[in-house]
Amino acid sequence: MLAELHEILSPQRVLTDDASLAHYGRDWTRSYEVAPSAIVFPESAEEVASLVKWARATATALVPSGGRTGLSGGAVASNGEVVVSFERMNRILDFDAADGVVSVQAGVITQALQDFAQEKGLYYPVDFASSGSSHIGGNIATNAGGIKVIRYGLTRDWVAGLTVVTGAGEILKLNHALVKNATGYDLRHLFVGSEGTLGFVVEAQIQLTPAPAEQQVMVLGIERFTDIVAVLDHFKKTLPLSAFEFFSELALSYVTSHRDLPRPLQQPTAFYALLEFDEDRLDDASAAFEGCVEAGWVVDGVLSNSRAQSASLWQLREGISESIAPKTPYKNDVSVRIGDMESFIDETNALVTSAYPDFDVCWYGHIGDGNLHINILKPDSLASDVFHERCHEISPQIFAAVQKRDGSISAEHGVGLLKRDFLGFSRSDAERAAMAAIKTVFDPDGIMNPGKLLSE
Amino acid sequence: MKVLVPIKRVVDANVKVRVKPDNSGVDLNNVKMAVNPFCEIAIEEAVRLKEAGTASEVIAVAIGASVCAEQLRTCLALGADRAILIETDEDAQPLAIAKALAAIQEKESADLVIFGKQSIDADNSQTGQMFAALTGMAQATFASELTVADGKATVVREIDGGLQTIEVTLPAVVTTDLRLNEPRYASLPNIMKAKKKPMDTHSPADLGVDMAPTQEILSVEPPAERQAGITVESVDELVDKLRNEAKVIS
Ligand SMILES: Cc1cc2nc3c(=O)[nH]c(=O)nc-3n(C[C@H](O)[C@H](O)[C@H](O)COP(=O)(O)OP(=O)(O)OC[C@H]3O[C@@H](n4cnc5c(N)ncnc54)[C@H](O)[C@@H]3O)c2cc1C
Repeated sequence: MLAELHEILSPQRVLTDDASLAHYGRDWTRSYEVAPSAIVFPESAEEVASLVKWARATATALVPSGGRTGLSGGAVASNGEVVVSFERMNRILDFDAADGVVSVQAGVITQALQDFAQEKGLYYPVDFASSGSSHIGGNIATNAGGIKVIRYGLTRDWVAGLTVVTGAGEILKLNHALVKNATGYDLRHLFVGSEGTLGFVVEAQIQLTPAPAEQQVMVLGIERFTDIVAVLDHFKKTLPLSAFEFFSELALSYVTSHRDLPRPLQQPTAFYALLEFDEDRLDDASAAFEGCVEAGWVVDGVLSNSRAQSASLWQLREGISESIAPKTPYKNDVSVRIGDMESFIDETNALVTSAYPDFDVCWYGHIGDGNLHINILKPDSLASDVFHERCHEISPQIFAAVQKRDGSISAEHGVGLLKRDFLGFSRSDAERAAMAAIKTVFDPDGIMNPGKLLSE
Repeated sequence: MKVLVPIKRVVDANVKVRVKPDNSGVDLNNVKMAVNPFCEIAIEEAVRLKEAGTASEVIAVAIGASVCAEQLRTCLALGADRAILIETDEDAQPLAIAKALAAIQEKESADLVIFGKQSIDADNSQTGQMFAALTGMAQATFASELTVADGKATVVREIDGGLQTIEVTLPAVVTTDLRLNEPRYASLPNIMKAKKKPMDTHSPADLGVDMAPTQEILSVEPPAERQAGITVESVDELVDKLRNEAKVIS
């Protein structure tokens, strides 16, 4: 195999040492055994196409690999696959000032794109705690969301054009950054969120947007879970929000001790909401705050005085995932429509507290998008496998609560390996059959990330 | 005990400042402004003295255009009891500011005046010291710890190569260093209450002070751009570059 790969790529771009296999064989999840057979680093669409042709001829499974910050095992290689890393395809290719569209290779780090936009006086609005490591290609393959979705939407909304290499080895250029293009199926959108199961994203044309006004940050203290939804509703009716995030006191206590940050409020409350909005709407936001206090939903709140304080307040939300990581949390990332949020929160809260009286449950998420992250923390005394087994028992019940409301069992982290067997809670049999049929069109031999998203 | 805290409106510390195309100064158009971080520390310290029962009243004072009222409101929200704005559109410079503040001190007879050690815009570090000289008050600059008891302030000062502890008799001037405290967030209920707190406005003329600048800025230049780093291919290349280009090893 090595000799064949060396014909496609120079030897230093094919790694098979144990450390590299372990490193590139996994994403942010830690619960899967990893066993890839090689890691390869193509530098062009043509090299990727050659790799696909070789893989088809030799029936070798390929795993596309971005920044490996994925949370669903989508980039995990457990079965001797060849991992195709986009680390060396990290160039910004071209900027079209008239359209505000930038062409990038798939391996450009999300933050590098954000910085590039800023240099041009523009803005790339998809942002989250892992944007310093994740790739644009990975973001497209997972249709990543993040902390600005309430105002700016998801990665999908910024993909103006794509170059992909399909599982058949064909190079397709999709939509060419056209705003209007009524010529039938928009194949670009099939590749967004496809988790590497149809082909490789090799280049993308990304739409940038004008830089936002100066932002202000508020953190509010809320005692009752269901009041968070009332607060969201009240604020949304008063002014446009750039972000509306929430976290529980447990999450806050982890992040403040882990990062040595001051607490936002004098007295702890059960939950906190973090809001961001244009600075010139401060009067409206203050009025909304007073309304929420009068209604009894909000007990206290703070406002940032400076960018430094805004950044510290944001750390309270963005640092959570990292600060609970030592507790190897069992993560659930679900969504329902905002209108169903309140009853969903009630039901899952009751479910989780009765099922896990001995576990700590850490709640946070992009609640402005109807998206909750439910993190169950492993008690130190419990073995990892026992812990996961017990968490697995409750998942179907949470998913049933999601299904009852036509919600999603994976709001933004993708399906990968982690949610694959639960896909039926969100997608009907007929839908999954259609998905499988689409996969065979682009990936006739089933070499693209097999076993992820759909069962083999 | 009455505490007076002079504060300054400056460009937010996290803004990348740009020089005006004609090099006449820094471009302040549409730029985020904030309370000078060292002044924020001064307010925090004064409010803590009040919360501890040591101080009875905290007065924030600013000198500048009417927009400085925004930063004074922030100080009121952080816990100051009242505010004074000395309104002027002149480019206020340290000596004139110190004189205007001395005139305020004449009226207020504060026991303690806490300044920031410097403002992050011009980095002069002059106003507190000049004010102390004009009023004949004792001064303890660059404070990283402050204790007030029995008509005296004990101050740990950050000095080159270490710390120095001194005692000054009140009334005294203290200027704050970075480590004195960590300022709190302004609570929203307090921001609401701050709207009702009193804010007096004076003109420099009321105080008998001439604010006309005595120094003229000839030109402002941005610092030289830093060059981007490069990735070297090998240790040998690195050693070669360190030796022959950077000339940091021989
Ligand atoms: C601390 C933390 C916070 C996070 N917060 C958020 C959040 O707020 N919102 C959110 O949406 N996600 C979040 N994530 C999840 C993760 O960062 C995103 O899913 C991200 O988009 C993954 O990008 P990546 O480059 O790391 O992809 P990887 O993990 O490398 O891969 C993800 C999937 O994409 C496929 N893939 C990667 N590159 C390509 C390519 N070029 N072509 C085809 N397929 C490809 C992989 O096979 C895999 O299926 C977070 C993760 C962490 C660790």
